Amino acid sequence: MTRQSTARTRQSTARTRRKPMRRLLRTLFWKIPVEQEVEEEVAFHLEMQTRRYIAEGMAPAAAREAALQRFGDPESVREECRAIGHRMEVEMRRTELRHELRQDVGFALRLLRKNPLFTAIALITLAVGVGANTAIFSVVKAVLLQALPYRHAERVVVIWNGYDQPGLEHAAIAAAEFADVREQQRTFDGVSAISRQRMNLIGEGEPEQLTGYAVSPNLFGLLGATPRLGRGFSAEDGKEGSEKVVLLSHALWMRRFGGDPAVVGRAINLGGRLRTVIGVMPAGVGFPDAPVGFLSGRGDLWVPYGWEQARAESRGDQYLGVVARLRSGIGIEQARADLDAIASRFRAQYPDRYAGSIRWSLVAVPLRDQMVGDVRTALLLLLGAVALVLLIVCVNMANLLLARGAARQRELAMRGALGAGRGRLARQLLTESMLLSLAGGALGVLLAWWGAHMLVRLDPGNIPRLDGVRIDGEVLAFSLGISVLAGLVFGLMPALQQSRLDLRSALQSGGHGSTMGRGHWRFRNALVMAEVAMAFILLVQAGLLVRSFAALQDVDPGFHAEGVVSLQLSIPRAKYDSPEKTAGFYRELRSRVAALPGVEQASAVYPVPMSGESWGGSFIVEEQPLAPGQPEPHAEYAVAMPGYFRALRIPLLAGRDLTDQDAAGAPEVVVVDELLARRSWPGQSAIGKRINLIGQPEGTWSTVVGVVAHVHNAGPQEEGEPQIYMPFLQRPQRPFFVVARTAAEPAALVPALRRAVRAVDPDQPVTALQPMPRLLDGAVARERFNMLLLSLFATVALVLSVVGLYGMMAGLVHQRIHEIGIRLALGGSPGDALRLILGAGIRIVLSGLLIGLAGAIALSRSVAALLFSTQTTDPLTYGTIAALVLLVSLAATWVPAWRATQVDPLVALRDA
Amino acid sequence: MARPRAPLLQGTLDMLILQTLRSGARHGYAIARWLEETTRDALQIEEGSLYPALYRMERKGWIEAEWGVSEIGKRVKLYSLTPLGSEQLRIEASQWEHFRAAVAAVMRTA
Repeated sequence: MTRQSTARTRQSTARTRRKPMRRLLRTLFWKIPVEQEVEEEVAFHLEMQTRRYIAEGMAPAAAREAALQRFGDPESVREECRAIGHRMEVEMRRTELRHELRQDVGFALRLLRKNPLFTAIALITLAVGVGANTAIFSVVKAVLLQALPYRHAERVVVIWNGYDQPGLEHAAIAAAEFADVREQQRTFDGVSAISRQRMNLIGEGEPEQLTGYAVSPNLFGLLGATPRLGRGFSAEDGKEGSEKVVLLSHALWMRRFGGDPAVVGRAINLGGRLRTVIGVMPAGVGFPDAPVGFLSGRGDLWVPYGWEQARAESRGDQYLGVVARLRSGIGIEQARADLDAIASRFRAQYPDRYAGSIRWSLVAVPLRDQMVGDVRTALLLLLGAVALVLLIVCVNMANLLLARGAARQRELAMRGALGAGRGRLARQLLTESMLLSLAGGALGVLLAWWGAHMLVRLDPGNIPRLDGVRIDGEVLAFSLGISVLAGLVFGLMPALQQSRLDLRSALQSGGHGSTMGRGHWRFRNALVMAEVAMAFILLVQAGLLVRSFAALQDVDPGFHAEGVVSLQLSIPRAKYDSPEKTAGFYRELRSRVAALPGVEQASAVYPVPMSGESWGGSFIVEEQPLAPGQPEPHAEYAVAMPGYFRALRIPLLAGRDLTDQDAAGAPEVVVVDELLARRSWPGQSAIGKRINLIGQPEGTWSTVVGVVAHVHNAGPQEEGEPQIYMPFLQRPQRPFFVVARTAAEPAALVPALRRAVRAVDPDQPVTALQPMPRLLDGAVARERFNMLLLSLFATVALVLSVVGLYGMMAGLVHQRIHEIGIRLALGGSPGDALRLILGAGIRIVLSGLLIGLAGAIALSRSVAALLFSTQTTDPLTYGTIAALVLLVSLAATWVPAWRATQVDPLVALRDA
Repeated sequence: MARPRAPLLQGTLDMLILQTLRSGARHGYAIARWLEETTRDALQIEEGSLYPALYRMERKGWIEAEWGVSEIGKRVKLYSLTPLGSEQLRIEASQWEHFRAAVAAVMRTA
C-alpha cells in the first residue's frame, strides 16, 4: 500500500491506535486536516515568492501583488485542492476499512475453523432460531398479511343472524331477510347473497364433485374482482328465464380444461344441466377463499342466482351467507347502527320470530376478520413463541461468546497491547458474531424452506390461504433482518464487556481467566436466568395446549368411528328429479355396499358427524304452546337410513331404530337424542310423543319412536344442540353420506366402495371417501397443529437453555478450580465441592423459574382463547413443567459439579 | 528582460513535475522555482496550478507527501516520487519524445 506510507496516513494511523472513533469522525466530518494543509501550503508559497521579490528589491506591497499575480487565484486553487484532498481521505478511509474488514473476517474464519465444536453449536442454534422464525413468518405473511385478492376487500363485511348462544353467533340468513336488509339498508353500496351448491361436473373425463356457489350477480363487482377471461355476471344473469351461465375459477380452468381460452362460450354439463361458461376468474380468486362462517371450501365455480327475486320464502329457512360493501366514508360502526335499526324493525314486525329470549341481532363482521380471525390468535402465539426462541438463541450465543471470551482474554489483551483500540477490538468481535449469524441465518433459511413445506403438509385443512406460503424475497429480507439483529444483539453484549477489560491485569494474570470479575459472572447468571424463565413460559403454554388437547380427546363424541368408512355423494337434480328416483339410487347403493365382503353394517346419513356440514332448524313440541315472545326450540337435523345408529354404534336408549317400513305413506316418525327427550319431556318417556318438524305443514306431527345418545356433530369442542333424525325414505334427499362398518381394515374397503358407486351410476363422482377416524382427526386438526408446533418450539427452548446452563456451570467450575482446590487441600470433602456448584446452579434455575412463573401467568391470557376446558393457571401444568425444568437443569448442573469433586488439589493449586 | 513565454501544452505539467521530483523530494514552491530556472522562465505556468496537479498525483499514487521543515523554519509538505510515479514519468517521457520527433519531422519538411 503505497499511500499508506504517506505522512498523512502515518500520522493518522498513529492517531487511530489511540482514538479510532475520533479519527473516523475527523476524517469523515471534520474537514480540518485537508483544509489546513491546503491553506498552509498556499500561504507558504506566497510568502516565499513575496520574500524573493523583496530580496530582488521590490517594495513589500508590490512584491505581494506580484507574487499573487504569478500564483493565480489562490481561492480557486485552494478549493480544487480541498476537493481532491477530501476525495482522497474518503478513499483512504474506505480502503482502510476494507482492509480491516478483510483482516477481521480472515481472523474470525481461522478462529471458527480452529473451534469446530463451538462453530457447529453456534451455527445449529442460530439455524434453528432463524429457521423457526422464518417458517412461521412465511405462514403469518401468507395468511394474515397478504392482501385478499379483492380491490374492495377492506370495505367488505359479512352480515349474519347473531344469536347469543355458542355456535350461533354467526348464523345464516333467510332469503326473505336478505331481501329486507337489501331494501332497508342505508350504509352499503352493494349487498350480495351466497349459497353453497354442490355440482357434479360430467363429461370432461372423470366425473368430479365441485364446490359451487349460487351468488347474486353483483358479488364480484362488489368485492372488486374482474374475470381474467370473458365477462362477469350482468344484472340480467340469474333472472327467471335468463341463459344458464357459469364463471370458472382459474384453478378449475387449469385443472379440467387445461387453461384453454376457447372454453369461454362453451356449454359444460353440471349434474345433467348445461351451463355456458362466460368467464374465468383470475388466479387466487376462489370466493370464499377461506371459510366464511358456514361457507367453507374454496369456490370452483359460481352461478348467478336472483336471490333478490326469491322474496316469498320463509324466514325460518336460513341458508344464505350475505356480504356487503360499505359505502366509501362509512365506518363499520355506522353500518352496525344501520343494521340495528333494521333489526328493531324486524322485531316489531315479527315479534314471535325475533323478540325471543335468545338475544338476536344482525351482526356485521369485516371480511378479513371473518377469514383469518380464528387462526390469528394461534399464529400470533406461534410467532411470539419463535421470537422467544430466537431471543433464547441470542442469549445462548452471547453466553457462549462470553465463555469463549474468557479463554480469549489473553489474546485480546495482547492485541490491545499491540495497539488495537477498544473500538477496533469490539469491531473484530462483532465481525465474528455477524459472520456466525449470517451463516447461521443462511442455514436457517434452508431449514425454514423445509419447515414451511412441513407446515403446509401438516395443514389442518382450515387455515386459510396456507397454500400461499412461500419463501420469497420479503421472507428472505425478514430472515436477513433477524439474522443481523441477532448477530448485533449477541455480539454486542460480549463485545462491549470484553473491550472494557483491563489490559494490564489480563496480561499479568497469565490469562488464567481469574480476572473475570464479579460483574462478568453476574451478567452471565442473569442471561441463563432469563433463558430458564423464557423456556419455562413457552413450556407452560405448550403444556396448557397439550392438556387442552387431551381434554378434547377425552370427550366422548357419542359414536365409534373406528372401522367405519364414509363417503360423500351429491346426486344431480336433473337426473334424480323425483323422491322415488333419489330413494331408489341410495337403496340400491346401500344394498351393494352391504353385500361387499367384510361389511358388517351399511347405511347412510346427512350430515355425517364432524364432516363440517351442518343442518339446523327449529321444531314445535305438541301440547307445549310457546309463551308469546318465546322462540321455538332449535335442533340439529339429520336424515338417516335404517341401521345408521348400529353402523356408528350410537347407543339406542329407548324405543326402536328407523326401519324400511318408515317409508313414504307410512306414519311420519323420528328418532331424537337424549338431550331433546330430556329437555322437551323432562321426567317422561319421549316414545310416542309428537313434534312438528321444519318443512312439515303446521298441525301435522311426527311421532318419536326412538331415543339415541347425543352426538358431537361439529367436533369435540362443541356440545351441540338437541338432535332429530328423520327417516330417509320419508324425506329422500340428494346430498348424502354413505357409511359402512367393516370388520376388516377400513382403508381396504375404499376402492370397493368406489366401484359400488360406479356400478349404480357411472357419472356419479364421490368425495371425502375415507376411514371415519380421519374426520375425527380433522375436527381437532387445528388444535393438534397448534399443540405440536408450540410443543416443538418449547422443547427447542428447553434444550437451548439447558445447553446454556451447562455451558455456564462448566465455565464456573473451571473458574473456581483454584478455590475448590484450596478447600479440598484444607480438608473439605468432595461433597462440599458438589454442593457448592450444585447450589450455585439451583439458585440460578430457581430464580429463573420464579421470573418465568410470573411471566407465564401474565402471558397465559394469550393462550386462553385456544384452550378447551383447561384453566390458564392450571396448577398441574405449572407444577409438572417446573419439576421438568428443575430436573433437566439439575442433570445439566450435575456433570460440571461432579467434575469439581474430581479436582486434584495439588494440580489445581499448582496451575493457578 | 522580456523573453518570449510559451503557453504550456495540455497535459505536460504532470510530466514536468514528475521530472522535477526525480532528483529528490521538494515542496511546491521549490518545484515552481526549479521549473522557472531550468526553462529560464520560458513556460507560462500559473504557479497556483501546480498544487491541484500535486494533489491529483498524490491521489493517483504517483507521488507521496511528507511533512518537513522549510528553509524559513515552517512546516511544509515535501513531495517525492513513488515507484508508480517513476513508471508514469517513463511512459510520459517516451510519449513526449514520440510527439516531439513527429512534430519536428513535420516542421523540417517543406
